[in-house]
Amino acid sequence: MQADAVAAASNAAEAGVSAAADAVSAASADVPLTAFGIVLSKIEYFVTVPMVYLAILFFAAAAVYKIVSIFSAPAPGYAPTLYPLKKRPMMAAMSDAFAMPQVRKHAPVFWVFLMVYHVAFILLILGHLDILPSINIVDPESKHMLGAGAVGVGVTLPMFYFIIRRFSGEVRRISTPADYLLLFLLLFLFLLGDMISWGNSWTAHGFVMTKADFSLYFDGLVRFTFDDPRKVLPGSHFHFVVLHVLLANVFFIVLPFSKVMHVFLSLPINILRRKPWTAK
Amino acid sequence: MDREVSAKLEVLFKTKLNSAMRMYLETCARCGVCVKACHVYNSMPETKYTAVGRAEVVRKLFRAYFKLEGKIAPWLGETVKLDDVTVDELYDAAFSCTGCRRCVTYCPFGIDTQMIMAIAKALVIGADKAPAVLSILSDMSIAKGESIAETAVAYEEAIRNLESDVKALWAEPWKPGAPFIPIGVKGADVLYVALSGAHSIVSAAAIMNAAKENWSLSYFEAVNFGAFLGDAAKAQAIAKRITDEAVRLGVKEVAIVECGTAFRFMKYMTGRHPFKVSAFVELIDRYVRGGQIKLDDGKIDGTVTYHDPCQIARNGGVFEEPRNVIAHLTKNYVELKPSREDNWCCGGGGGLISMGELDFRMKSSRVKADQLRSSGAKVVTTACENCHSQLVDLNEHYGLGMRVEFLSHIVAKALMA
Repeated sequence: MQADAVAAASNAAEAGVSAAADAVSAASADVPLTAFGIVLSKIEYFVTVPMVYLAILFFAAAAVYKIVSIFSAPAPGYAPTLYPLKKRPMMAAMSDAFAMPQVRKHAPVFWVFLMVYHVAFILLILGHLDILPSINIVDPESKHMLGAGAVGVGVTLPMFYFIIRRFSGEVRRISTPADYLLLFLLLFLFLLGDMISWGNSWTAHGFVMTKADFSLYFDGLVRFTFDDPRKVLPGSHFHFVVLHVLLANVFFIVLPFSKVMHVFLSLPINILRRKPWTAK
Repeated sequence: MDREVSAKLEVLFKTKLNSAMRMYLETCARCGVCVKACHVYNSMPETKYTAVGRAEVVRKLFRAYFKLEGKIAPWLGETVKLDDVTVDELYDAAFSCTGCRRCVTYCPFGIDTQMIMAIAKALVIGADKAPAVLSILSDMSIAKGESIAETAVAYEEAIRNLESDVKALWAEPWKPGAPFIPIGVKGADVLYVALSGAHSIVSAAAIMNAAKENWSLSYFEAVNFGAFLGDAAKAQAIAKRITDEAVRLGVKEVAIVECGTAFRFMKYMTGRHPFKVSAFVELIDRYVRGGQIKLDDGKIDGTVTYHDPCQIARNGGVFEEPRNVIAHLTKNYVELKPSREDNWCCGGGGGLISMGELDFRMKSSRVKADQLRSSGAKVVTTACENCHSQLVDLNEHYGLGMRVEFLSHIVAKALMA
């Protein structure tokens, strides 16, 4: 399976040679590096390999610590149940967490963007996992990643709406700097993702990098080879990949301290209002 | 504020950080969906009167003292310090919130602003800036519990004086030879906990006598000023007077007078008891459904509507019972819009009635007045003392031309043999 994927990747890489040659730049492996180029390549290596491990490790440790500290705190003295009770409280809590009926009722336009965003975000995670040679939701020889760019648009467009909304009316007045920074972090993360998943096919010769190219990078990461991804990701688009990975690393690092923790807390917090009360 | 006080408040804050509170403080996305939930904001559109605006005062402190973000980049979350200015903001947030929890029905996470306001109230109390009237009333309630023997005789005498009023509504006691207002009866099935006013006793006594209920009046008033104040220890001490009495008498059920907070606190916030806790309107409904009382459905002139008290309906689960009772009182009923769990708060809860605050209560409840007016009803009934007082004030202030009635009062007047 892995050999197939690597073979597929090299075929795809051959197909993209001319495009890569067109896109040649100072970052290309074939061009002698200046001192700045050497420093830059070391930074880019750090960002795309060691920092990825550090960021994910940090995220996992901090998120687990936070969740454990929340659930090991004393339970409240009473249940903050909301009435009328639902027939199936757990189903109601799951509906609250995943379908957000309260938002649909009170802010329907916002709800549409939220649903598109969250569904696309789940597909985005799947799309990234799909890059691994061992997972093939999309054909490994496909040049496209999952959704052929649509998934990226699915998270990016709502992000513009969220930013405009954040700057408007009462929402602006309740916002903190962290709210804006998080939105812009995600916006640029997504825009860079769009460029390397979809925009990199907009050259005169088609794709610069394909799913198969990225699979070689991911394969190195999961096998802890510590290989320089520059070797498998040729062309100037590599810098966009580095920036994308950098912002993803930053996102992983800030996630446990941010409101994005609602990813883990939305269901348990909704259970609080749906769970029938029993005295202790 | 000196460092010693702020350090004490930080410790106080930490004691409130239970698992639910931690989630409420960590999770808010500041999406703003709750902005339109609060009756105060809808009547006086200022950010500090939104649910998120109130909670953010507490969250800014939480970030400052309990989050890494507050230590290394306080500007990210606009953290604030525990000082006099912040305590004043906490006071404004907590004592302009009626604790109605309408915002919980808007929030995609179900964040409970009332619970967050418990921190604000605790810090205000810790800084010795709590509303004096609520503190005094709480202390008086607790003192009464500690010295009931001294006041019992005078109370029994006052109760005897009400018996003729009860008799005028229903001519028989619950069983031949029993007093019209039994008090301190061991082995009673129901312990009825009233308020200090006669209006909370007379109609209820007539209804229970008509239903032939084996009941007894409590020596204590149900209202829990400790809960309004936000002082958990005082609130529990006030409730304990009643639970101790109920256990001493061996009653099967404690029926709480038409008072939302007293009902919710006793039923949901005082732990497990060897007796059932009911809102009085639940008893009336049981009597009607069981045929223990019969009601004349032609006694009320004009269209009737019902205001769901937040602590009994949205926060207590009693929706159908009052509607069933009203269906036996009139054929001319209209629902408020919105109603049930979406009903607008009257604007008098959370201790605001006890604190006075007439000007704020009237300004902050304009949407409630609009809702009542647009119903077209001539009579608004409710099952909560605070709601009743507030609706009477709104009726007068906004010239609604309605009649405001306790549900128990119109039931007592409609009793048929």
